[in-house]
Amino acid sequence: MSYGLLIGKNLTRKMLRSFLLILCVAIAFFIYSVLSSFQKSFEGAEATVERLVVTNKIGSNEALPISYWNKIRQVEGVESVTHISRLRAYYMNEFNVIGANAVDIPSFYEMFANTYSFDEHMVAAMTQKRNGALVGRTLAVKEGWQLGQKITLTSFRHFNQDGTQNWSFEIAGIFDGLEANVDTAFLITNYDYFNEALVRGKDVVSIYGVRPHDPQMIDSVAKRIDQVFANSGSETRSQSEVAFMKAFMNQFADVELIVRAIVSAAFITILMIVANTMIFAIRERLLEIGVLKVLGFSGFVIMLTIMAETLLIFALGALGGVGLTALLMPILSELLSSIVPGISLSAITVVQALGLAVIMSFLTGFLPAFKALRLPIATALKHS
Amino acid sequence: MTLDTRIQLQDVSKSYRLGKSEISIFDSLNLDIPAGDFLAIMGPSGSGKSTILNLIGGIDRITSGQVTVGQLRIDNLSEAKLSRWRAQQVGFVFQFYNLLPMLTAAQNVELPLLLTAHSRRERMERVNTILDIVGLDTRGKHLPSELSGGQQQRVGIARAIAMDPQILLCDEPTGDLDRKSAEEILDILKILNTEMGKTIIMVTHDPSATTYARRTLHLDKGQFVRKELEHMA
Ligand SMILES: Nc1ncnc2c1ncn2[C@@H]1O[C@H](COP(=O)(O)OP(=O)(O)O)[C@@H](O)[C@H]1O
Ligand SMILES: [Mg+2]
Repeated sequence: MSYGLLIGKNLTRKMLRSFLLILCVAIAFFIYSVLSSFQKSFEGAEATVERLVVTNKIGSNEALPISYWNKIRQVEGVESVTHISRLRAYYMNEFNVIGANAVDIPSFYEMFANTYSFDEHMVAAMTQKRNGALVGRTLAVKEGWQLGQKITLTSFRHFNQDGTQNWSFEIAGIFDGLEANVDTAFLITNYDYFNEALVRGKDVVSIYGVRPHDPQMIDSVAKRIDQVFANSGSETRSQSEVAFMKAFMNQFADVELIVRAIVSAAFITILMIVANTMIFAIRERLLEIGVLKVLGFSGFVIMLTIMAETLLIFALGALGGVGLTALLMPILSELLSSIVPGISLSAITVVQALGLAVIMSFLTGFLPAFKALRLPIATALKHS
Repeated sequence: MTLDTRIQLQDVSKSYRLGKSEISIFDSLNLDIPAGDFLAIMGPSGSGKSTILNLIGGIDRITSGQVTVGQLRIDNLSEAKLSRWRAQQVGFVFQFYNLLPMLTAAQNVELPLLLTAHSRRERMERVNTILDIVGLDTRGKHLPSELSGGQQQRVGIARAIAMDPQILLCDEPTGDLDRKSAEEILDILKILNTEMGKTIIMVTHDPSATTYARRTLHLDKGQFVRKELEHMA
């Protein structure tokens, strides 16, 4: 006999009820850990707060003049600048939209060398082949593209000199992300080649990427850049990559809000179910609680055993739910590879889940436990 | 030793508040129980028999007056102190045994010992000794649901004496038992009184049960109405 045994016996006296409770909790925590992993990956794990993204203030779909490139480079605190222009194209059929960007290869390479597996070799190949393209591994695998293969993308928006919206490239290299969760479902091409061939809308870019000298100064650098273009034809909006990715993703759906809504709904339901069940469970045990008090167990100790019981329910449920997520992660990762590459169950998610379990066990256990604490013995014994 | 557990109720009144009105159970009740007594209390239901046991055992509070056990005024002890005192000095035996259904007989007896500093081994030894005293040495591993009423009540008594208290408060301990089982239980109580010197206060409806006691009091309308002859053991 021990307190542990007493708590365990209380939990297992109604096996089915406890099992169902733990199952409910496990499902809620499964939902939580899957969605939380999804959200964390979706918001761009490769995004960093050390780099800035400069877009048109009106919106990230509006262009900025290429002339800003030099101007941004001259802003105090700026180390390097690159630019990116979206082709807005599809491959084979218009539902197969491809992330294709026209960039200045040397500065792009310089900016993202710590993110993608670019090498001098690829840069040289792109300089030689003006119509070359560097393709990310995920995209190459998905489309079955090989090195040296010629591909033709069709832009939704940009007309070529030949009067069509078709743009042909030759694959000059395939790159990987330097970490598993880096998105490589896109390709890059030479900006000059693209810009010269454009019929309309020449000499503009979609966004600039900026690296400041000192990551600590990122906010003041952002302010200075935006000041330079204040009251000009195209005002800018500079923000960290992380903030940009979040805002960009939120154009399609406020993932964070959706995740929060679903998770809250699941957790509130669980809170009500467990709290309700515990209140009933304790009500069934009033006489026993009275007997324990007669034997000299303090109300406080009895309260602790009840709270330990709910903690056990939530701990088992949370471990079950998170464990199931960990188990299914390889499958999820495979299924979602093109949406959220390298989705994984992070240690943060696990810690957050366990923290939540503790908080929720307190929320559900406290009330019935407190009732038990306050229950007068003489009243309890009347429940014979 | 014996002086230490004399129980005295002096001018005790107890009333319950029911809505706006006060219901008085007793007013100015006096009772003196020497250490080593075996007192039977009879009386119609609702007369306050259980309430008396609860007041002596410190699980209910008097409205006014004074309750003394040995040298100790227990009516003004804090909840925590009362609880510790009760664990040491008082054992309760209930009509419906009130065993914890998910624990075995032995675990039920061991339960109060959890509050002591005894090692697991010492606790087990004590449990075995006590189960032996109540004649249940072979039933330690059984759940209450696997025991007869008489056997369950023996476990109830074993649990009550696990901490070796000086006082046993028994509320209709045979009220749910057949004649034979009742006599076995009363025999055990008698032995606890005569051989182990425990003070026993037993509420009962059964006149024949009173023959096991040293004396019997009748409670009616909040008063002890008539003292019967003391039948010495
Ligand atoms: N908590 C309470 N609130 C109100 N009345 C109570 C309470 N407990 C007991 N009583 C009343 O006190 C009287 C005595 O109860 P009790 O001591 O249980 O009687 P007995 O054990 O002799 O049958 C009864 O009339 C009962 O209704
Ligand atoms: Mg009664």
